[in-house]
Amino acid sequence: MSHDYESRWVYRAKWTYLLSVVGVLMLPVLYTLWISFNANGFGAAEYDFTVFWYVELFKNAEIRTSLAWTVLIAAIVVAITVPMGVMAAKFYQRTRFKVPFVFLMLSPLFVPADVTAAALLVYFKNLNRLVEGLIGVELFDLSLWTAVAGQITWCLPYAFVVILVTMGRFRPEQTEAARTCGADAWQAFWQVEFPQIRPGVFSAGAFVTILSFNEYVRTNFLKGGFDTFPTYLVSYMLNTGMTPEVYAMAGLVSLVSMAAIGLVLVVALRRRIG
Amino acid sequence: MNSVPAVEVDGVSKNYGSVSALKPTSFAVPEGRYFVLLGPSGGGKTTTLRMIAGLIRPTTGRVRIGGRDVTDQPANRRDTAMVFQGFALFPHMTVEQNVAYGLELRRLPKDELRDRTAAMLRLVGLTGFEARRPSALSGGQQQRVQLARALVLQTSIVLLDEPLAALDATLRKDMCFELKHIQESVGTTFIHVTHNQEEAMTVADEIALIAAGTLVESGSPREVYETPRCRFTAEFIGENAVFSGPIVEGALRIGGAAPFVRDAEPPLAISVAAENIDLHLQQPDLEQTLPGTVVDVFYLGFSALLHVEVDGGPVVPVRLLSKELDAGIKSGGRVWLSWDPDHARMHTA
Ligand SMILES: Nc1ncnc2c1ncn2[C@@H]1O[C@H](COP(=O)(O)OP(=O)(O)O)[C@@H](O)[C@H]1O
Ligand SMILES: [Mg+2]
Repeated sequence: MSHDYESRWVYRAKWTYLLSVVGVLMLPVLYTLWISFNANGFGAAEYDFTVFWYVELFKNAEIRTSLAWTVLIAAIVVAITVPMGVMAAKFYQRTRFKVPFVFLMLSPLFVPADVTAAALLVYFKNLNRLVEGLIGVELFDLSLWTAVAGQITWCLPYAFVVILVTMGRFRPEQTEAARTCGADAWQAFWQVEFPQIRPGVFSAGAFVTILSFNEYVRTNFLKGGFDTFPTYLVSYMLNTGMTPEVYAMAGLVSLVSMAAIGLVLVVALRRRIG
Repeated sequence: MNSVPAVEVDGVSKNYGSVSALKPTSFAVPEGRYFVLLGPSGGGKTTTLRMIAGLIRPTTGRVRIGGRDVTDQPANRRDTAMVFQGFALFPHMTVEQNVAYGLELRRLPKDELRDRTAAMLRLVGLTGFEARRPSALSGGQQQRVQLARALVLQTSIVLLDEPLAALDATLRKDMCFELKHIQESVGTTFIHVTHNQEEAMTVADEIALIAAGTLVESGSPREVYETPRCRFTAEFIGENAVFSGPIVEGALRIGGAAPFVRDAEPPLAISVAAENIDLHLQQPDLEQTLPGTVVDVFYLGFSALLHVEVDGGPVVPVRLLSKELDAGIKSGGRVWLSWDPDHARMHTA
């Protein structure tokens, strides 16, 4: 179908839509990014390009530590969430109760972040007290692991959906063909199905990385005595207002997210061409 | 020949909840036989084959391969290989990798693996296609790769589920001959599922008819074509006029005509092959004839096919040589049907 008979108004509406998406979603971020490279900071009459503020960031030991925590948590969350997403998607294909299962998997998206976070906080506190009473170890004290658990509830629905979409294109006959060739269930999955759903798994990994890297509310409630980059950024901002360092921190988060998305696009395009 | 059957299906059934895909069924396939499961779609053929393959577990009954009970073994532990209707080649592997996959799993030495793969590709006529991806092959070539991938394992049984259904008619015919040749040359037991009777007749040593979850009857292609025992077989295989009617004084009455079959054991139906029915334009001087009206005339080249509505009876097919049409047979005309009593077959079920 060509667009030869498209109304001029539909055409204008499409462009308005596109421009407003770019204007509202992208421009503020790009503007922040732009300012973060200005030696004179926000509102200055002159623009002198510099990476000074970024260098300053990395000189700050607290920021370096918070970045390390963020990366560590993201790595753990990806390592747990992506395999969970794969398993959930496989289960979805087999279960007869598809609608309730999807609802269950996506339910973390329907609950406001602060409600989930507060609920988990109370839950872990009680669990901690209970377990401590039983075995004398504070197993569920707020820590890296409670923060990881909170983030997984948030990331898993996305990983599940992204992987499910790719898995839907896989033909189950191939698993059966592999089995009749002599493969056990694991070999059939790993050698035949996985190579074909790898782009989805990879995208899910990138997606979860971004989600984890940027997550604030749950992490802030559930972390132990440390800061991640977003929690550090927010408390810093609340203390000092929008200083050039805050712009650089925001810029850093944006750059990491864009890099992750860019990587997914490059991999996806390379596969399409290759 | 070995007296132990290559495959023994013993009282095997499959239920999905309250749906019965296959009722308890038993049959045995002797070694080296080209065995075809033939029947209408939804009859339970695939279910049967997949239980032999070990892809689904029977609800009841046992499956034995070479005399050994394999009912509790999954597909990868059975001495079977399988060809699917389509989409079963691994798209991320080349043709050669696809064929070699099972051998890799068996950890064959590299040279032997390469030799056997090459020999198999030669057998199915795909030498030179080793480095291609399945997506760069035609439908027929893809099915050949699947066949090579199954045969290279040298299992004692090869299972084929509608292997030619996705191909166009001409190619299907050629591939039928080829399948038959290949099976004869390797001597492996083949169990082939199809809904296409011509395909079944071409390749089979033995045909088993399956419909509505029941094995109806089995026999050589010639037996099921010429002397079907069951009414269903007569309706499904070949082109037969099937008559049933009230039994009066131990004889079958069709329409208003004189009783047709007299037998101590009253049959439920009789059938006559379309080519064995004689057509008359005037009432012949015979004891048993059926009057009727020509409904359709199809000219098919060498032969012609008529549909004749018997007075008070069914519409039946009648085959003639095309030149017989010149006598003035046309749609709407009155005709009389008769046949040599030796050509009538009685069916009790
Ligand atoms: N997984 C399943 N769940 C429910 N019913 C099934 C399933 N597989 C097959 N059936 C039913 O079993 C019957 C036989 O199917 P099948 O063996 O595929 O027939 P055929 O291969 O002869 O066309 C059909 O009525 C089909 O709907
Ligand atoms: Mg089938």
